[in-house]
Amino acid sequence: MRTLKCTFLFLVMFIVSGCWDRMEINDLAFVTGTALDLTEDGKLLCTLQIAIPGPKEGGGSSGGSGHMGNFYVITATGKNGTEIHRSLQKKSSRRLFFSHRSVVLISERLAKQGIHDALLDVFTHDPRNRLKTYLVLVKGGEARNILELKYPLKQVPIEAVNEMQISGDDLAVTLRDFFIMNQSEGIQPVLGAVELGDHLKDPNEQIFKFAGTGVLKDLKLAGILDENETLAMMWVTDKLKFGRITTKLPKDNGEVGMMLNHTDSKIKTKIERNSIKFKILLEGTGVIEENNSTLDIDDPEQLKIIKKALEETVEDRVQQLLFKFQKKYKVDSVGFGQEIYKNNPGKWRQLRNQWDTQFQEASISVDVNLTINGAGMVHSILEKQE
Amino acid sequence: MRRFKRGTTTRYKQILKNKSSILQEDMDKTFTSDIEQNESCIKEMFEDCFDIEYRRIDVNHNRKWLIIYIDSLIDNQLLEEHVLKPLVTSSAQDECHVNAEELTSELISVGTTSVSDHISETVSKLFQGHAAILTAGSSKVVTVCIPGLAKRSIEEPSSEPVIRGPKEGFIEHLSTNLGLIRARIKTPKLKTESITLGDYSQTCLVMTYLKGIAQESVVEQVRARLNSIQVEGVLDSGYIEEFIEDQPYSPFPQVHSTERPDVVAAELLEGKVAILVDTSPYVLIVPMTFWTGLQSSEDYYIRWPIATFVRWVRFLFIHFAIFAPALYVAITTFHQEMIPTNLVLSIAASREAVPFPAMIEALLMEIMFEALVEAGLRMPKQIGPTIGIVGGLVIGQAAVQAGLISAPVVIIVSITGISTFTTPRYSLRNGIRLLRFPVLILAGTLGLYGIVLGFLGIMLHVTSLRSFGALYFSPVTPLKMSAFKDVLIRLPIRMKSRYKITPEHEEGD
Repeated sequence: MRTLKCTFLFLVMFIVSGCWDRMEINDLAFVTGTALDLTEDGKLLCTLQIAIPGPKEGGGSSGGSGHMGNFYVITATGKNGTEIHRSLQKKSSRRLFFSHRSVVLISERLAKQGIHDALLDVFTHDPRNRLKTYLVLVKGGEARNILELKYPLKQVPIEAVNEMQISGDDLAVTLRDFFIMNQSEGIQPVLGAVELGDHLKDPNEQIFKFAGTGVLKDLKLAGILDENETLAMMWVTDKLKFGRITTKLPKDNGEVGMMLNHTDSKIKTKIERNSIKFKILLEGTGVIEENNSTLDIDDPEQLKIIKKALEETVEDRVQQLLFKFQKKYKVDSVGFGQEIYKNNPGKWRQLRNQWDTQFQEASISVDVNLTINGAGMVHSILEKQE
Repeated sequence: MRRFKRGTTTRYKQILKNKSSILQEDMDKTFTSDIEQNESCIKEMFEDCFDIEYRRIDVNHNRKWLIIYIDSLIDNQLLEEHVLKPLVTSSAQDECHVNAEELTSELISVGTTSVSDHISETVSKLFQGHAAILTAGSSKVVTVCIPGLAKRSIEEPSSEPVIRGPKEGFIEHLSTNLGLIRARIKTPKLKTESITLGDYSQTCLVMTYLKGIAQESVVEQVRARLNSIQVEGVLDSGYIEEFIEDQPYSPFPQVHSTERPDVVAAELLEGKVAILVDTSPYVLIVPMTFWTGLQSSEDYYIRWPIATFVRWVRFLFIHFAIFAPALYVAITTFHQEMIPTNLVLSIAASREAVPFPAMIEALLMEIMFEALVEAGLRMPKQIGPTIGIVGGLVIGQAAVQAGLISAPVVIIVSITGISTFTTPRYSLRNGIRLLRFPVLILAGTLGLYGIVLGFLGIMLHVTSLRSFGALYFSPVTPLKMSAFKDVLIRLPIRMKSRYKITPEHEEGD
């Protein structure tokens, strides 16, 4: 009798606590990407890219027949996320499965209007969303064009965005990063941006490329930084894994390129009664990749000139970037406010409400220190050897 | 052990009562000094038995000796040379030996002899390959041991092959088996206690242990459990295993059985008790722990880093053998978000045409695989290759091409099949084969949660199992770090890494 009771209790435990969401894998529609646009009448236009599982094995397995663009796209309009989701589900025979989504694309027009309504709520509430999903701004044009284009490399084209985000020196912002930035004190979120690129030989195939960084202020797009500014920003925020910088040498008009292998950044705050001062220390190590000048890298004296020129260029770029942040966009995307919050929380409490204006007045100095470790395989210039 | 004790004390008494009643009447009968009466008594017993032989030797036309033996069990040459010849010679010389002691000490040149006046004792000797010599005018009967039953030669054990290590295996002959062990442990401390079991089979069992190393309590327990066995016939050591194991309903073997004398010798040195059963090439060893099942004798013959690596491989694959199909089913039907995107798409693609749910698919294939294994075992060797073709091609490739089964399931089932056979001990392997199915069903209904439940259930069971007082999962639970030298790693033997098992008694035991 006791065992019977125990067995019964066990069964109850199974049934009560079991998660009955059994779903065969071939009854799911795997959403690989979402694009959010704004329609003419101000509604949200949501586009889903759904992967079509590859051809059944056995049939037509001879050779790579090139099943490119194994996906289809469905769209729906609506005022809010739930409404859109419902109408999207109606268009799909299989249950939409969002956990494999790698990218959420937002059009520039929508971003300018503000992404709070469209995004944060839907994405924060639904647990099926993967926090590793990349959030990407589409510069110019409609976001859904990116989803529809045929990318030559991948079975599921949008996976390419994923790969590009990981591999490049471009800014990669995941939902998680975005949420953290958005919720943190003294920093405004930024987004990576892409735009449509060249057409390939096959007119149906087109690539897309990275196009800098979208700067948000209060979840509205304030502006888009270009490639060089993005590099500077990533360096300052210590997100740069590697990058390339080039500079023109002052005297003989030659150009020198350097590849950075390792970068580091420190922001020091100095708060006085009336003024707030920041000092950015940038460090970078790398190798000379290109040298079109007449200078000889083997000569330490001449190398110093190159080093100085490179450092000045970086400093210049960072200053330009800071000018943009402080004067043009008036947004603290680097997180200077956060530095104050970390080092001096009491002061930050006073400053918080007026940080918008205080940030514009803050004086920021930049100090760059580069270490050149080598010059690759060929040390001297090719021309000299002739 | 608690379980064993509770039910058994009353059972023992009953059994003993029954046992004695069967044999009681025969036990009491003794031979008389009248040889004619003795002969007719035996003849009555062996009525309708074709293979019993009676050989008379007369002195002065006076019946002097009667030799009784079972033709199929004795060696005729030995009989002629060492029994008949001296007796006939002495009869010709008209010498009269009446005394049984005189007979054995002066005439019969055979090693093992015995003297008795009990009919039952003499009869049981007849079945062990003895010839009985009845003397006129004496109630003492002499039996001489001249066994001649054909036996298999010592071969490499088929169930536990090794590459490096001794290739001898036990055979069906008890004293040969005992000799194989004695050849490895040459000390009088190796005790061999004999006990006869089976009302009809009268099978001889030998319990052997190293005195001073084996725990006295374990020896005592083995002795008690063996003595309590009541059975008509013992045809293999499997019969004994079933009677003496602590938990008969467990899928895990609690008695270690082996065909290898070197394994028995090693286990004896670890303080275990071995039980040899006549007519069975499998020797039982108790107590057994779970980890014994994961160790091969070869672990100790190859170099220790490799042995350690191999042990890890086995440990990894024992999990595969239980959980691989369950994990596949759980993840593809409940937790699709756990699979990398590219993989999920190719799995989805291969499942596109399959009509069954993943769990049914996996179950079907697993059962098919078990059928293949079983058929491969039972079928005559000549048609063995057919199984390979039918199994490999039809079930593997054709089923996938026909869209009945998806390719990933075939892969998973193959992996599981291979994993099962990495477990070196046959009996543990069988337990694992069985456990796969409940876990698979749990996974198919409850997902990963079900697998966790299944795992917990298995762990609860395994950790509470006992084998002759020793905890089955020791030394992992209860944790005993000093014993880890020989569980998942095998440290060099010079570090005295072999783990001596000590039974842990429950409180209040």
